[in-house]
Amino acid sequence: MRRILPVIAAVATTALLAACGSSAAGGGSASGSASPSASASTASCSNAAIQKNLYQHGALTVATDTPAYSPWFSGNNPADGKGYESAVAYAIAHQLGFTNSQVHWTREPFNNSYAPGPKKFDFDINEISYSPQRATAVTFSNSYYDVDQALVALKNTPIVTHHTPADLKGYVFGDQVGTTSLAFINSSIQPTSRPKIFQTLNDAKEALQTHQIAALVADTPTAQFISSAQIKGSVLVGQFPSSGEHYGLVFSQGNPLVTCVNKAIATLKSNGTLTKLQQKYLKIYVSVPALQP
Amino acid sequence: MDDKQVDPPADPFTGLPGASARTIGGAWQPPGSFGSAGRGPRLFGGGGRRATAISTASTLVVLAALAAAFLLAPGSAVVRHTFFDPRDMWQSFIGNPKKGYYSVGEALWLNIRMFLTAEVLILAFALLIALIRQSVSPVLFPFRVLALIYVDFFRGVPLLLVILAIGFGIPALRLPFVSVQSAAIYGVAALVLSYSAYVSEVYRAGLNSVHQSQVAAARSLGLSQSTALRYVILPQAVRNIIPPLLNDFISLQKDTALVSVLGAIEANEAAQIYSSTVFNYSSYAVAAVLFLILTIPLARFTDHLIDRDRRRRLAGATA
Repeated sequence: MRRILPVIAAVATTALLAACGSSAAGGGSASGSASPSASASTASCSNAAIQKNLYQHGALTVATDTPAYSPWFSGNNPADGKGYESAVAYAIAHQLGFTNSQVHWTREPFNNSYAPGPKKFDFDINEISYSPQRATAVTFSNSYYDVDQALVALKNTPIVTHHTPADLKGYVFGDQVGTTSLAFINSSIQPTSRPKIFQTLNDAKEALQTHQIAALVADTPTAQFISSAQIKGSVLVGQFPSSGEHYGLVFSQGNPLVTCVNKAIATLKSNGTLTKLQQKYLKIYVSVPALQP
Repeated sequence: MDDKQVDPPADPFTGLPGASARTIGGAWQPPGSFGSAGRGPRLFGGGGRRATAISTASTLVVLAALAAAFLLAPGSAVVRHTFFDPRDMWQSFIGNPKKGYYSVGEALWLNIRMFLTAEVLILAFALLIALIRQSVSPVLFPFRVLALIYVDFFRGVPLLLVILAIGFGIPALRLPFVSVQSAAIYGVAALVLSYSAYVSEVYRAGLNSVHQSQVAAARSLGLSQSTALRYVILPQAVRNIIPPLLNDFISLQKDTALVSVLGAIEANEAAQIYSSTVFNYSSYAVAAVLFLILTIPLARFTDHLIDRDRRRRLAGATA
């Protein structure tokens, strides 16, 4: 809100996006004194220009929950640059002129990420879906991943073979609290028995293993990872058609840094980096049978 | 109960309505006459007009200071919106499953059912444990050891871990019937196991509080051990421990919220689902108010029982 001009300029000029990322350090010294009206879009996103918006001077502080799950992260270690979200965070950091060592990771449980007051991070990257209601409490970046919901079940259970829309209504579904899957279950599948909602994904997986739920609903990459690596004897039943859901980075409400991050994301989209990272980390997750809710 | 002890605090606030009332009250209330009605500290009453006026003024000042701190804080508007937004509170109270959240009010009904079931079972089970631990028969020695281990174990292990172990462990056993119950049933089982360990100790304290001469008297009248226990010891023991028992049950009412880890949608879970769906914490305020509505009557009832018991004892002592 405070920086209306740069925001408008940034949104308007897509041509300057690449320039912003390429020579960030060089542009930084020049833009430090530039007035917002002069060369707003290039100037405002240089590394030096965004310093005043950072949580910690000279570093990009990125938050995620722990444990950080594959394939979004690797081995619960966000700082290794592996896993889709970790790689995206570093790619954005590079666009903003940070080196790898200038990216600091901090732990932020999902339920704390939308608490009012100052945030202890620049942005949170934790598979958080955008919704208009949520956007009244925090600021979201544009999409860095478009989400589909999928079902994981144990092999040889009825839902693996019987999952017509009518069949699906008869099962007990499980979900992690805070995911948008719950709204999806209730509005699209409309099961007769109430879904079970667990505090953590681990609890939900435990419930699936112990037959307390017929199927676990999660985004397709997570579901694929659970079925292929985490729960022995489980299988990915299929994924539902896209409902337009997407993941965004979470900023404190009104944080002006989002403008520059959105530009970085747009650059990463247009130069194919996001697609490349999706193929690298999420490739096995594309060939999944389709389900009808 | 000297006049000077209660006088000064209201002086700096002479502009308040309560303060002037104090002066009027003080003028025609003889010093030393108030406070003589009650034996111990009481929340209401036992004061007289002047004391009432002072406590009113003091209460108003404290409330005003708290309200001012809350309303004038830099982040006040944000906090009010995030925690106490009326629209969000109402939405979370009525719920809307299609939007991904459930009614907190309806979910409270699960807490109430869990609490009532658990309470009845705890009262019975804990008494059994306490009686075993108090028994003297050599035949019961192994049971005394088991009861001791049971109490030590379940008082020492955090309730949350017991809930997780039962809620996820028993279904994993794949037994018929036992392994296919609802999360709420496992939650109640865990609450009963954990709370019975505490409550059995309360019972034991109650049993120990009955003087040995009571047993001797009962036995000398020809009552058997069990009859003496049933008609002489237990009635006196239970009467002594009603306040601590109710205290544990107030705690139990709130701890039903822990069953949410098993995926049961009780009030706390419903509030969390709402909060994480729309990124607003007002649903927690709704859950808090609903829990208060549950626990405050029980707390006042406990006070009432304590007062009644004290009156009866004093009446008995002087009669």
